[in-house]
Amino acid sequence: MNQNTDLLTLRSVSKSYGKVPVLHDIDLSIRDGEFLTVLGPSGSGKTTVLRLIGGLEPLTAGEIRLDGQDISRMPINKRPFNTVFQDYALFPHMTVSGNVGYGLSVRHVQRREIARRVAEALELVQLGRFADRFPAQLSGGQRQRVALARALICQPRLILLDEPLAALDLELRRQMQEFLKSIQREIKTTFLFVTHDQEEAIGMADRICVMQAGHIRQLGTPHELYYKPNCEFVARFFGENNLVAGKLGPVQGEQRPIETALGRLVCSISDQPHLKAAPDGANAFAAFRPEALHLADATEGDNRFSGTIADLAFAGSSTVATIAAGSDTAAQRLRLRIPSRIDGSALKAGETVSLSFAPHEGHLVLA
Amino acid sequence: MNALPRPSTIFLAAITTLVAVLLYSPLFVPIVSSFFTISHGDVDWSSPTLSTYRALAENHDILAALRTTLIVGLCTVVLSVVSGTLLALYYHGRRSGRSILQFIIFLPFLMPPIISGLALLIFFREIGLERSLLTVVIGHTVFVLAIVYRTVLMRLQSMSRTLVEASYDLGATGWQTFWRIILPNLSSAMVGGAILAFALSFDETMITILVTGTQSTLPVRLWAMMRLGFSPDINALVALILMFTVLLCVLAARFLIPRQMATERS
Repeated sequence: MNQNTDLLTLRSVSKSYGKVPVLHDIDLSIRDGEFLTVLGPSGSGKTTVLRLIGGLEPLTAGEIRLDGQDISRMPINKRPFNTVFQDYALFPHMTVSGNVGYGLSVRHVQRREIARRVAEALELVQLGRFADRFPAQLSGGQRQRVALARALICQPRLILLDEPLAALDLELRRQMQEFLKSIQREIKTTFLFVTHDQEEAIGMADRICVMQAGHIRQLGTPHELYYKPNCEFVARFFGENNLVAGKLGPVQGEQRPIETALGRLVCSISDQPHLKAAPDGANAFAAFRPEALHLADATEGDNRFSGTIADLAFAGSSTVATIAAGSDTAAQRLRLRIPSRIDGSALKAGETVSLSFAPHEGHLVLA
Repeated sequence: MNALPRPSTIFLAAITTLVAVLLYSPLFVPIVSSFFTISHGDVDWSSPTLSTYRALAENHDILAALRTTLIVGLCTVVLSVVSGTLLALYYHGRRSGRSILQFIIFLPFLMPPIISGLALLIFFREIGLERSLLTVVIGHTVFVLAIVYRTVLMRLQSMSRTLVEASYDLGATGWQTFWRIILPNLSSAMVGGAILAFALSFDETMITILVTGTQSTLPVRLWAMMRLGFSPDINALVALILMFTVLLCVLAARFLIPRQMATERS
């Protein structure tokens, strides 16, 4: 298992249902042994990507390669991948062990071997005691684990997971996230996980592939996507970025200013050649996180501006302030996140404050 | 119902009871009278007896008709369950042609039986098929096919599509998927459909009269006997059939109402 070799490659893959295109020219490489999450809002084509890889749908154009071999036309039951379906798709007329052993039994593996491997797989997902139950007698989380055991018993090269946690409640979802991650480390199999929940994606993935409207918008580590989104969509989709529109100024080494309604904001452009290459005056956004904003003592200078606190929301360990900044004609709503204090926040609604952020905590996104 | 004021509840209950008594009490008359002898047109309540049942066992006419009915019923069940299931499987998930097919399948069931019977009679004459038990079985199958088709199709539609996908995904062939996933999930619907088909075939009269040859089924036989008046052993027969039918209905309900195992709730 070498994380640097590609297991599966999608090349210029397109998919249309009738005349409705759902995927446009997708290129994607999945590395051997990684936990890759495909993240996107509903209708972004993320589930279609999974169904194409699994062989549940034919490609309209392009090809899928496994270890360099074209498998685009390989039938679903010959592909060395297994799927955990969103509704789990457990066979209702079979017991848990019948379900888990199905993949082996259709391949005519010997009974004793099946029993041994089913027991092993159930042990792995901590369901040994439930081998003789029927799916209807299990809770949501248990069914989920049966579906996982059933998918991994055939030792697939890749496990495809289609929003498997969507039907679970919050607490169980958190537990299952950790559980999935630990199983993935244990069996060292590549996971392709589809979700619309960015928190889930950040928590589990080695890399995240963000999709929107049938395109891949960005592929990178959670850290990269969080701090260096490459487009407005990713910047808005990931957390609660502050985006301020403006026009780019001349490059200053590893930084570049942007002229906005809040004045001149200087942001970091290190390791992002496309931002260095963008022409002066190009439309862009300054993007900075609510936790990167600080209360400042002066109103002059770069990355400094004033605003009025429109609203305060207590969120446990932190307090989020909504701030109206800029002139009346170009009003801008910003979010500021500061640590909460036991005696109530130091801020009051209606108060005018000076704010700033450090250039290395700001980021540019081309419009 | 609890929200209704008390007088209206009582009124409703009274009406319901009255309707039930009026509608269903005739059913119990033959059962009760099957245990008593009848002399001069009056039931002799003084001496309960099983003599009617003994007489029935010796009535070879009736017993032959009963045997014919059972043979026709079983053949009809086999034919209609196999063809109804195949049709449902073939047309499930297929948009084109399905509504036309359904219309054709349902037509004989919805048409007045005398029309269906006449149509079949003319058809058999045109193709030169002699009237016999075979034509009766064909007639019954055409008649009950709709019920089996509908029952199986509804089960297919309530089956999650991902079950089949999951089977393929786990490496099963189409054949394995059919035998190990689709069929087991349909089996209870097929059994339920079979019981309904049998019940319908059992008392089907109109079509049978028109397309049968020399042998008559039980309802046809009873029909013929009406002109001469019934002998007391008919009471015994009715009682037996009634009990048998109730048993079938209970069984059908058991198979058609999905048990918890058959429905996965999330």
